[in-house]
Amino acid sequence: MKRKKLNKFFIYLILVIFVLIINLPLISMVGTSLKAEDEVLSTSNLFPTKISWVNYQTVLGKTPFLTYIKNSLIITISVTIFSTMLAVLAGYALSRFTHKIRVFGLYSRLLIVLQMFPIILLLIPLFIIFKSIGILNTRLPAILIYITITLPFSIWLMTGFFDGIPVELEEAGTIDGCSQFQSFYLLVLPVSSPGVAAIAIFSFIFCWNEYLLASIFLKQDNLRTLPIGLQTFIQQYTSAWGSLMAASTLTIIPTIIFLIFMQKYIIQGLTAGAVKG
Amino acid sequence: MPATISIILVAMYPFFKGLQLSFTDYNLLRMKDVQFVGIKNFINILTSDEEFWRVLGFTFIYVFGTVILSYIVGLAIASLMNQNIKGRSIFRALLLIPWVIPSVVAANSWLWVLNDQTGFINISLMKLGLIQKPLLFIAEPAMAKMTVIMMSTWKSFPFMALVLLAGLQNIPKDLYEAAEIDGAGWWHSLIYITMPLLKPVTFVSTILMSIWTFNNFENIYLLTRGGPANVTQVISILTYYTAFFRNKLGYACAISSTMVIFMVIMAQIYMKLLKTSQK
Repeated sequence: MKRKKLNKFFIYLILVIFVLIINLPLISMVGTSLKAEDEVLSTSNLFPTKISWVNYQTVLGKTPFLTYIKNSLIITISVTIFSTMLAVLAGYALSRFTHKIRVFGLYSRLLIVLQMFPIILLLIPLFIIFKSIGILNTRLPAILIYITITLPFSIWLMTGFFDGIPVELEEAGTIDGCSQFQSFYLLVLPVSSPGVAAIAIFSFIFCWNEYLLASIFLKQDNLRTLPIGLQTFIQQYTSAWGSLMAASTLTIIPTIIFLIFMQKYIIQGLTAGAVKG
Repeated sequence: MPATISIILVAMYPFFKGLQLSFTDYNLLRMKDVQFVGIKNFINILTSDEEFWRVLGFTFIYVFGTVILSYIVGLAIASLMNQNIKGRSIFRALLLIPWVIPSVVAANSWLWVLNDQTGFINISLMKLGLIQKPLLFIAEPAMAKMTVIMMSTWKSFPFMALVLLAGLQNIPKDLYEAAEIDGAGWWHSLIYITMPLLKPVTFVSTILMSIWTFNNFENIYLLTRGGPANVTQVISILTYYTAFFRNKLGYACAISSTMVIFMVIMAQIYMKLLKTSQK
């Protein structure tokens, strides 16, 4: 018994040390962001001797950081809403009608392949296409592309989710006088809200973090999203590590909030792909 | 269905357009006269482009290294978390952080910690007397190669750990108890129980991880930009440079089209595995 307790202690110890090592850069990031300007480069301590908010004041007051947040929010929220709505409808159709319409089986296989597509492959043709339409300097290309990239995964996850809901639910609804859409809207959708939450969070995190496409399609000053904005900070103020770290900390706050409160849904989405197949 | 329309418009059409472009000499600097050059681009890439072969070589080392390392780390963490411990969800959340934060933030915070003059790691190692001079994590070629693989592992092991943990939780506990009664040690349990039963999960997750790592652009680009002296370039970075810095869009499309060959092979294996695991 005693040996077991000791074992358990070591497991905790290893896990705690590992978590600390893994998060070292981020701990240092938050620590640095709270240092006063002269302390940032002069000491290598992880934490400041005195907490100072000067870096946050600089970032929010003297840089276009608020514009970047606004841009990121516009794009992320519109993509999340559209992509989730489309994915729920498409996933429902794929789940309920695959046996009746054979093309759907092929279609869902196509979705799996699409999910693994290299973005860089589509980047150049998309660039040329949007250039010739003439909407290169708007938010439209990025929003359209993000929706399309998040869709395959979301549809696929929703299909699996609807598959797990018995058809009897809708049949009962039909008996009680619901139309097909009503029984979907009133009966199936409330039951499947965890799945909807999972795909919405995934779309949100993807758009919030995306760099490659944004670096091509959202290059202009007034369109830049947070990742692009952060990258420009580095090029412009090379030695202002304090403000950079403050900006980075602010950037990851929404993601971390999701991670804490919605962990269940994130893990559900993450493992669904590889384990259940 | 609107979803289908947008997928066809934004994914399928550009894909074929990309294939078509790879047979031309499309150049951003002279947009007027785009010539059809046949398979000249492909012949150039495969026969006379030394850069391409060198980059392809490192791409494979990079993908292989990242996948193997993140599998080993992931499995170790997953088996620790599979023990009957409290606060599993807290550990899970803390371990997931690298996976969910933007690459830009990840790369910058690493650059700050690995910095040769003020970086926490270098200064701590020097204080401990382990090294005399600061290690040049980014500036020295061999070191930079290791750094990008480590960083990429750091970003991708949480996925592995969680997927493997889900797999481990499906293995019945009695199997281990039976093995323990029969006198099997920790190592034997791993080799004869854990590994065989984890096989489907292992295959699917490593294939997925290889595809993602192969396609990934940001992890390396934001850390080293492919430098020093281009030693950490991978195919996706080469494509990006060729297209948007050298303006040779046609040639870049041809390079990325060669990626498709690899993708198709991997996708085939993935689909086959999915089918067998569904049965």
